Amino acid sequence: MTLLTDEVRALVGRTATYTAPEPLGRAAIRYFALATGDDNPAHLAGDVAPPTLVCETNQFVNLPRDENGFAGHGWDFHLPGTREVRGGNSYRFHRPVRPDDVVTATWTVTDVAERTTGSGAGMVVVTSLATYTDQAGELLVENEETLIYVEVQP
Amino acid sequence: MSGATELSLERTIELADMVAYAGATWDWHRLHYDSAWLSERGLPAPVVDGQLFGALLAEMVLDWAGPEATLTALSFRFKNLVYAGETVRCAGRVTSVDGDLTTLDCTVEVVGEGARVAVAPARAEVRRP
Repeated sequence: MTLLTDEVRALVGRTATYTAPEPLGRAAIRYFALATGDDNPAHLAGDVAPPTLVCETNQFVNLPRDENGFAGHGWDFHLPGTREVRGGNSYRFHRPVRPDDVVTATWTVTDVAERTTGSGAGMVVVTSLATYTDQAGELLVENEETLIYVEVQP
Repeated sequence: MSGATELSLERTIELADMVAYAGATWDWHRLHYDSAWLSERGLPAPVVDGQLFGALLAEMVLDWAGPEATLTALSFRFKNLVYAGETVRCAGRVTSVDGDLTTLDCTVEVVGEGARVAVAPARAEVRRP
């Protein structure tokens, strides 16, 4: 039986956009640097964001917490009989992000594909692209993310 | 090639580090701290947010490349979960230099008891003026 149902295929092309209600801010940058043990002086001073910060933070999203405590972007998609695991990320950094940048994140599902794991379980790979822009529309970062829905063996 | 540049960064990730990262990223998912929620799901300990390894790889590469450098690309795939209290070792190796762009292949491995690959393959590209 295929996991690639009409409901799964219909994910492709879905989009979501989130604009931060405030500039990123020095405190957010310094907090991330402290939390990751980053001793780069430009990061600790809050002058320049560590590169992966904007892809990681839910600061822009303004969604309520779900039952798992998560308050970030998601597609509210659950595939019965599978468990969700993270595949990976691919970032392209176009220019350093600074405290006065007001970030807009735009997510799009670009692909769904059916694959088989090494142990023979079916899985669906959902690929999304997030683009982050500043208040002038300048591209800051692109983030391609894969989520994998692996069939749970009975 | 012989004499290839090798980079590394080792870090023990305590639960307090994970709470700090969860706060810094506005990510309050129970996976990263809630023991009761985790045991209901058969997970032995709080799970480290995988994207933290992206931050550590970026830090390792930028520390090596110097203050004038900028990271232009970073990609990574997750292989195994990492749990609170474990020590990871990030490693990188320069694979090509093309003008001001340097490319590195990287990995993240759990060291010590339960040693395993956490992240592979991973690749970073840095511009060094």
